[in-house]
Amino acid sequence: MRQQRWWAVLMVAGLAVTGCGSAARTESPSSGKASQEQRKLVVWDWKSGEPAAATYIEKAKADFAGRHPGVTVEFVAQPFDQYYTLLGTAIQSGKGPDVMLFNGGGQIRDRADALLPLDQYVAADKSRLAGWDAFSKDGKIYAAPVTLQGHPIYYNKALYEKAGLDPAKPPATWDELLESCAAIKKATGATCFALGNKEGAGIQFWMSGLGSGILTPQEYDDWIAGKRDWSSPHVRRIFELWKEAQDKGLNNEGANSTAMFTDIFRVFETGKAAHIIGLMSDVGHWKDFGEFLPPDKIGVMQAPVDSEGATPSLPYDGGIGYGVAKWTKDPELAADLVRSLTSTGALTAFYAKAGAIASDTTIDVSQAGPAVATIVQQIKAGKPALHVALSSKTLDLMGRLSQQLLSGSATVDEVVEQLAASDRAG
Amino acid sequence: MPGMRLARWAAAVPMAALALATIYPLVFTANVAMKTRRDYVLDRFSPAASPRFDNIAEAWAGAGMARYFANSFVVVAFSVLLLLLLGSMAGFALSRLRFRGSTVIFLGCLAGLFVPFQVIMVPLTRIMADSGLVDTYPGLILAYVAQFLPFTVFLMTSHYRTIPAEIVDAARIDGNTVYGVYRRIMLPLGVPALLSVGILNTLFCWNDVLISLLMMPSPEHRTLMIGVNSLRGQYSDDIPTFASGVLIAAVPVLMIYLFLQRRIADGVTAGSTKG
Repeated sequence: MRQQRWWAVLMVAGLAVTGCGSAARTESPSSGKASQEQRKLVVWDWKSGEPAAATYIEKAKADFAGRHPGVTVEFVAQPFDQYYTLLGTAIQSGKGPDVMLFNGGGQIRDRADALLPLDQYVAADKSRLAGWDAFSKDGKIYAAPVTLQGHPIYYNKALYEKAGLDPAKPPATWDELLESCAAIKKATGATCFALGNKEGAGIQFWMSGLGSGILTPQEYDDWIAGKRDWSSPHVRRIFELWKEAQDKGLNNEGANSTAMFTDIFRVFETGKAAHIIGLMSDVGHWKDFGEFLPPDKIGVMQAPVDSEGATPSLPYDGGIGYGVAKWTKDPELAADLVRSLTSTGALTAFYAKAGAIASDTTIDVSQAGPAVATIVQQIKAGKPALHVALSSKTLDLMGRLSQQLLSGSATVDEVVEQLAASDRAG
Repeated sequence: MPGMRLARWAAAVPMAALALATIYPLVFTANVAMKTRRDYVLDRFSPAASPRFDNIAEAWAGAGMARYFANSFVVVAFSVLLLLLLGSMAGFALSRLRFRGSTVIFLGCLAGLFVPFQVIMVPLTRIMADSGLVDTYPGLILAYVAQFLPFTVFLMTSHYRTIPAEIVDAARIDGNTVYGVYRRIMLPLGVPALLSVGILNTLFCWNDVLISLLMMPSPEHRTLMIGVNSLRGQYSDDIPTFASGVLIAAVPVLMIYLFLQRRIADGVTAGSTKG
């Protein structure tokens, strides 16, 4: 009898578990309003769970619901550090979300085969939004940009004042920067750059932040166009300066062991470093620094010129954008959700709450402070960021090699040679 | 005698250092959880000036931890129950029953220990999706059982092999069926090992992130570790709230260790001596 009871308990438990937790997506075909009433779109991203993006998502959902009242939209916020692993699994197994968020550049281009070209659906948004190139491959658009992501060089005006420097006139050349940094170090103890390279990402910011002051405009444009001359002394100079900055003590201590996204922005905003190559999307930017640095104490400068003929420009691309999976049951519906996620109302909310420089060029940012004004002013003459043009494989390698450069276990020549080989291999 | 005392001190110092190194991360996390973001940014190592529990409340309520907690509890409880049942049965069969192919099956189980999850995650996802098991509790439970069964079988087989064969023979002479021997003799004798394996499997399942992420895409079905992970954004860094989530997730694990540490030690040493 006891034995029978034992098995009965197990069976009941099994049935109970089987009965709970089925949330399979409705897979009904979609044409016409009736089918829409049963449709559900699943979106994967890493933003919708963040408080700063809550209003943005609400606005986008409301915009979409206004046009498709019967369709349910489920946002699944994935942890960013697992995001592309999960996406890769979903793509390989052909099972996954309808709409998904991507970083611009290599991350989306490497996965373009799994995405639906959106050209026909987003034609009306082409002129209103900027940053399309980062989400395009072979002339086709695979995602619509939500933010612009760039690498402005922010500086702490309060430290400049303490060092007796003019905060309205940041250094325009590398030599001037070295002089200013020496003065700031002497007066305040702050280092020149806040740098975190624990994950090897610091070099990407460095390359794109300073690159336009090192490469000539022709070299820059060739680089972006894929005609990269790794034997150019100017390309080599990018890595030389990276090493030189470390050797001359321009970086904060332990750059190789300092995490970029959790720690390094704090080094800058608390006045321990005078400059940082930051971001302009929703974090690591002017608003993020606001807890410690008021807007009037944050400056944005152009890349200091190191080579003759170099013309500094703001490096930026499309930051993040939503694309549509090839396997979605109703491409038109999914593309329409992407349009809602890039509507002016939603993007205005994202800018207002998170401080992101949104992709929508019609948003009024005049109230945001001098740093934003400077960035927006520079957008017109801006160019794509250098590191975004590289494949994710080469970027991974660059991250590892940059750590070896900082620690002195690799030479600049070795690094450039390996990167050139990786870049050529594609 | 002074020599003995000196030796004790010599042993105590590294042991104390080891204990400190183990306890400090927990103390640090608890301290950070009680700080404001501003205090954390200014000095992460200093003691919280005015300890507050808002972050813990925010992590619990704001991130819906109660739901995640319940999900984790259900999934882990059933996974471990199934693992123990199947593992002990397989262990008994592989250690005490003579049948053709038993060695091959045992080696197959051993081979399962050496396959990283990343290798099987694509086919597993596909099979689960085709079977309609993705985003269901049974799906995740099956995935956990599949992943951790080789380890369980290996340990249970090793444990049962230490039990004298005469006990099994005597039970058979007394008229027990194979199932009776398993239930009346081997299962009770396997309790120390079952406890150890159960505790370890509980920790594996409780701390898992990747399998759970793959098998449970819907937010309402996610487990506690995913909930904790969701407190971090791509770049955002509200570390005090995140530390609060880590603390919440660590409590059950700590409780297991605190209340069952003797059992764990007993389980590990069970069968190491005879007589």
